[in-house]
Amino acid sequence: MIWKIARKEFLLNLVSARFIIGFLLCLFLIPFTVTVNIDDYDSRMRVYRVDKANAENSFKYVRVYSYLRPEVVKPPEPLSIFCQGISGNVGSRVKIWLGEKPLFATGKAAIRDNPLLNSFFSIDFVGIIAIVMSLLALIFTYDACTREKEEGTLKLQLSNSLSRHKILLGKVLGVYLTILPIVLFCYILSTILILHSPNISFSAGEWGRIILLFFASLLYFTVFIFIGLLISTRLKSSITSIIVCLFFWVFFVFIVPNLAVYMAESWKKVQSYDNLQYVLQDLGKEFNSKCDEYVKTLEAPDWGMNMFHEPGRRDGARIMSGSSKSMLELWRKLYEFSEPLRIDYADKKWNLQKAYLDSLDQQRNFAEMISLISPSEVFRLISASLCCTDVASHCRFMDRTRRYRDEFIDFLRDRKIFSSFLYITPQPPETFMTADEIIRIRTGGECKNLKELNEWMDAHDGSWKIIRKVQIPGTHYNEYPFLNLSDVPVFRWQSENIFAGLKQVFIKVAALILISIFLFYLSFLSFLRYDVR
Amino acid sequence: MLKTIIIKELQNNLYSLRFHISFLLCIVIFVVGTIAFLKNQDAKMQEYSKYRAEFKNQLRQTAESNASRLAANERAFIWRPRANAFISDCKENYFPNRFNYSAYNVFGFEVGRGGTNPFLNTFQELNWSFIVSVVLSFTVLLFTFDTISGEKETGALALVLSNSIPRATVLLGKYISAIITTMVMAVFGIVLSILIVIFSRKVDFTFTTLIETLGFLLIIFLFVSCMAAIGTLSSVIAHKSNISLLLSLTFWLVFVVIVPNTAIFWANKVFSIEHADTIGRKINTADQELRRNAPAGSDTSSSGFPFLPEHKLRAELTMKRMNSEMAIRNSYFQDMFRQLERTRLVSLISPIALFDYMNEAVVGGGYARFKKIWTDLHGYQVQFLQFFKTIDAADPDSPHWYNPWEDLSTTKKAVAFEQVPVFEEKPLSFAERFSFLRNYLVVMIFYIAAVFSLTFVSFLGYDVR
Repeated sequence: MIWKIARKEFLLNLVSARFIIGFLLCLFLIPFTVTVNIDDYDSRMRVYRVDKANAENSFKYVRVYSYLRPEVVKPPEPLSIFCQGISGNVGSRVKIWLGEKPLFATGKAAIRDNPLLNSFFSIDFVGIIAIVMSLLALIFTYDACTREKEEGTLKLQLSNSLSRHKILLGKVLGVYLTILPIVLFCYILSTILILHSPNISFSAGEWGRIILLFFASLLYFTVFIFIGLLISTRLKSSITSIIVCLFFWVFFVFIVPNLAVYMAESWKKVQSYDNLQYVLQDLGKEFNSKCDEYVKTLEAPDWGMNMFHEPGRRDGARIMSGSSKSMLELWRKLYEFSEPLRIDYADKKWNLQKAYLDSLDQQRNFAEMISLISPSEVFRLISASLCCTDVASHCRFMDRTRRYRDEFIDFLRDRKIFSSFLYITPQPPETFMTADEIIRIRTGGECKNLKELNEWMDAHDGSWKIIRKVQIPGTHYNEYPFLNLSDVPVFRWQSENIFAGLKQVFIKVAALILISIFLFYLSFLSFLRYDVR
Repeated sequence: MLKTIIIKELQNNLYSLRFHISFLLCIVIFVVGTIAFLKNQDAKMQEYSKYRAEFKNQLRQTAESNASRLAANERAFIWRPRANAFISDCKENYFPNRFNYSAYNVFGFEVGRGGTNPFLNTFQELNWSFIVSVVLSFTVLLFTFDTISGEKETGALALVLSNSIPRATVLLGKYISAIITTMVMAVFGIVLSILIVIFSRKVDFTFTTLIETLGFLLIIFLFVSCMAAIGTLSSVIAHKSNISLLLSLTFWLVFVVIVPNTAIFWANKVFSIEHADTIGRKINTADQELRRNAPAGSDTSSSGFPFLPEHKLRAELTMKRMNSEMAIRNSYFQDMFRQLERTRLVSLISPIALFDYMNEAVVGGGYARFKKIWTDLHGYQVQFLQFFKTIDAADPDSPHWYNPWEDLSTTKKAVAFEQVPVFEEKPLSFAERFSFLRNYLVVMIFYIAAVFSLTFVSFLGYDVR
């Protein structure tokens, strides 16, 4: 009997305007959204290839170790086509510095070209499913009882020996049979579009996750079916029922997600990132002053001239050559002291940065707690976990980059690179000369030593043209080959396995199942008492 | 007769369940949103004040040690959290809010990290603008979707029109009553919100804020009129109320969700600009060309006697390199502005997007604010450079060779911090806001007129039996 009622409901729904409009809505929205997200994925892949090439180049064309700072570039997550999660908020590049542990990834692809476009939001496949499927579930169930009561057919059915629970189950099954093809159609259409896209290929694990996402979608619209059913069993009029259903829909799907985040922002304070930077700059100044103090304890060089010298922008990068032996030795000793200290200061900075990250996470947890009121937000959280675009996946990636930094630092320490001349100059130590030797050769013998050079400069308004009179081959750093970095540890990118993050998913899925059972139980109780006259 | 119809419809609306639920929802969100805003604003202003104090402190330290570093150091101006953001935040959390400049140039803008928590999903703040664009737009559709089709089903429409009452009067009466019903909710919520703001004493409610509120009420009125016209159109197109409901919902989904959230796609596909790495390569190529063609000695090291002729060559080369880079970047910035403006034009098909852009003009936020700061910062940079050149000209120990990246060939003397011009943001004047609003107003009025005319023409032929 249940099956007969379900069949009747399904056939009635199939020829109704709501099914046709709902189907057409999905037919338009799903391919459009998936196409938009595939296009976005292609852009991110293009940016990834450019970034990866730049990262590899900067790794290859390095002459001294102080310029060696690997960059980790994360490929875009293929499943972000289905659910963007926070992948749109975070960047994909992590530069490994000695002076700071990686805090955030940089290089957000969407705003690489035009930051003004950041003010436009975007919607993904899961977003459309969350909005449209919930609406369809309510549209098909709001009058499950009220329509038949108004038409008088409900009392006719119940005047027979037909139990109420069979009618209810039949209606639920009927609605399920109606919406299931629409959901299946959405997934099949998306799959076809993705298979036709030449730049995307999913692994078996990723296809597995898509199947899990499909089942999560079924569970999601089940919740809304029971919400619609419960409302229909509590009210007498279809028009009242649809109004109440729609307000619940707007509340759960549009208001709660924004309310949760806004309340989290208001109630859980987070220090401003710019103020954190000021505090970190103070630590940086403290580090610099310690280095300056240390330099004062070292023996002054015979000549203060940095012949060929280019300080990098950050993290102690410096390349030099052609200076006097004592000058190069001074720099070597400075770096032997400063680099381990720089790493220690990175740990001090990390204490503050970790506190900042923890406060961001607390704010996020608070928002997540409030958002659990809404089934659509629970569904989005499940989807983000399945598609590896949630916060946990990002944190796992950042932890791996920090571990890689530790490996890189161990490599530099084990080979005593901070104490080596190769940290700052590619010039072999056996070619170093004293100041007098350099001056004699470069001035073509015109000045024999530093004293004579200074006299000449004083007589010529401080000009040092005479130093360029004769070039010494093999003293400019560009004349030296690049370093052989084949033994430097390299970051190996690995996709997440199918089981990563599933524990969190199970908890939320279990919550949705419990809510569904509870809602059905309430609907059943309401329907038992429903006045069918 | 029009007045009678309006009163009758108003009574129906005000006593209906949909009004009670939507009124309750509106009021709750107005109250919760305003309270949350006040807490949020408090925290944000504390952080901003701290940031600004440290910024000025660093500026003072630099000014009192070396005027050339004061001029050459690149700084960031970050705009302050807006006090009237309880009206509309204009998505300023996601806008580029960080402008990099020195005395020599305004180098660019970027989305600062301080705006939002990257671990949170993108969201809209629960301000008046959100309530109107999501809740009230939905509500007005719920009042209008069955205004014609519902009465046709009950037979009341046939009875009304069997009297000597023009169809235009019936339609207009229903339309106006839907607008009034929704405006009642909006006004009530806004008044409550204002009272909370005033009694909290955390944010000043000034005369300007009052004008902004009145302006906002005007654009709510236009927006609600537009959505009411769309709802009434759905009701006239469909002959059954459940179909007109579905049509209204479809319109709402397309306008509230689809059009605003697919704008990036149109921006990149239809109004694409060059990629940032292409611009980077152009800048490098031009830079290398300049360095190759520079007079000999232009690339000498920067240490030594300030009056060394090589320093003048290097200063000139550096200035040319900066100007070359900024010429390319400024052209790219104009492309970015054009891309945004054209994308917004396309999104004007959605009344919600139109409403958001009008909000920016009314509250002086969003893109209108961004453009003003961008323009004013350029004016400030010229003034700041002139100030520095005056200080430098008075120093006989300076060769006066301006180098945007160094302090070697210009004055290193200290300057009193009180004399240094510091950039402070000026709010948009009402004239500036109106010039930003003007075109959107025209589009909105045209939209309302077009949709209502279509509704009216459809209703003239509507079968009421």
